[in-house]
Amino acid sequence: MYGRYDRAFSITEEKISLRIDSGSSLPEYVRECGGTRTGKHLASEYDAIHIHPVEPVNLPQEITHYLEIVFPTIVLPPTKQKRIFLKFPVEIGVFFEIRGEMNVLDIFSLIPTKFSLYGSPSRGVITRWYRSEIFSEIPLTDMYREGVLELTLVNHCNTTVDVSRAVFDSYHMNLFYGTRVGMTATMEVISPVIALTTFATTPPEGCPNRSIDLYTARKFTVGTFKGFLMEAGMS
Amino acid sequence: MIPQGIPNTTAVVHTLTDETNLIGSASPRDIVFFIVLLGIAYFVGILVARYLKLKMSHRIKPDQLARLCLAVRCILILAAIGISIPGFFDLSFTILLLIFAALVAIIGLSSQKVISNMIGGLAILYECPFGTGDFISTGEVSGTVVSTRLFSVLVRTTSGVYVQIPNDQIYSSDVSNYHANVAQRYEYVVGIRYQDDVKKAIAIIFDILESYTFILKNPAPEVFVSDIDADSVRVKLRIWFPSGWANLKDDVSLQIDILPRVKAMLEAAGIEMPYAHREILFANQSPALPDTGNTQRPGGFA
Repeated sequence: MYGRYDRAFSITEEKISLRIDSGSSLPEYVRECGGTRTGKHLASEYDAIHIHPVEPVNLPQEITHYLEIVFPTIVLPPTKQKRIFLKFPVEIGVFFEIRGEMNVLDIFSLIPTKFSLYGSPSRGVITRWYRSEIFSEIPLTDMYREGVLELTLVNHCNTTVDVSRAVFDSYHMNLFYGTRVGMTATMEVISPVIALTTFATTPPEGCPNRSIDLYTARKFTVGTFKGFLMEAGMS
Repeated sequence: MIPQGIPNTTAVVHTLTDETNLIGSASPRDIVFFIVLLGIAYFVGILVARYLKLKMSHRIKPDQLARLCLAVRCILILAAIGISIPGFFDLSFTILLLIFAALVAIIGLSSQKVISNMIGGLAILYECPFGTGDFISTGEVSGTVVSTRLFSVLVRTTSGVYVQIPNDQIYSSDVSNYHANVAQRYEYVVGIRYQDDVKKAIAIIFDILESYTFILKNPAPEVFVSDIDADSVRVKLRIWFPSGWANLKDDVSLQIDILPRVKAMLEAAGIEMPYAHREILFANQSPALPDTGNTQRPGGFA
């Protein structure tokens, strides 16, 4: 389903039906999913429709741009590193293209959303919360529900640390898709309570296509520091 | 012919000219000085504003920072005018100070309330207890701050009414800012009957809270027996919401969302919420037989 579509399109996959109805005076984008129908009329001409996985922090409304993945505790010895695979929730973005410019038309998801607080109420951040198991190899996923995060844990400190969650800033996510949805990230443990999470720009195995970044499509700028500093612990 | 008793016209003109000279007139040098000083004040204002933006942009909100920069620039320009204007009239600073003091006294006496509002506004600007978009509660008013002005704060209540609160009133009373933290805790109480299974009721409530999108996973919701009163076992729910979401609603709408679901699920599981009732026994009556508490006994009093 992910990819570029011509002006008139209709696809049905995995209980999701997306199409453009050109019957009325204005073309209407229609999404039928989970027994609900959503329709939007397009007021201007467009060149194409793009469907991509997007950063999973937009639904049901934007109240955070951080993603927190909680997983069973990993004990990381000093100065060691370990590569693991986690699952993360996927939101599906529909964009319409006008002269090379991407505009957000619709975002939806097949996975329920939960939020959490990372840190204290006064100094912490609200996060989109997701629980994942740990996998040593790339797990099988439904690409319309979940993606695979290849996470490299690096312990730079001289003590053993317990790691059971990772918080990421979605503004710097680099999502890819192909046979599945995937991204690659690193979590560098600086001290027993501080870690830095960053995303790699290289595509993971089996995901050659780069997704459209929502913050690019929405035309807002983000800071130059490309990472999130976890200052409230890792477990 | 000049009538007797009236002084010579030329002499009068000379006297007036002398008086004008006493007030003084601006020379080209004074005008240049005024313009240069104004220009310097303007550029210094820009530099100070830039410095403030650089150093304070992460500490205070953009609209407050913009107001602070504007205030600094205005003060600098007024200072430049204050320094250069006396040269136009050859006024000494002592006279200027006297005029200023008299003006301050007159204005102060005639507009005490306005001045106290202005000082309250400056204090709020300096201390930044809240900013535009924050949900605050002060006195009888609760709502979202629309703008903070020099004399008043404009608040939009949850019922959509705009309320203008004088700054001195805000500064001299307690202000609760519900937006200062990213998460807020809410408490609700549900009463169940004595004969109902408390553990089962708590488990059902936990399931409902788990399915609710905006109830935070961490801090985890707490559900516990908080009180055993005359009519029911009181079960308290402590739940956390993201402030950014919860402040768009009010407490009533949150209750409307959650409590009916709790009630429906508990009732579906056979757990009921009792109403308060009292049995009155007369001396010539035998004690009442125990019942579920939901039916009114014939001859009894509820």
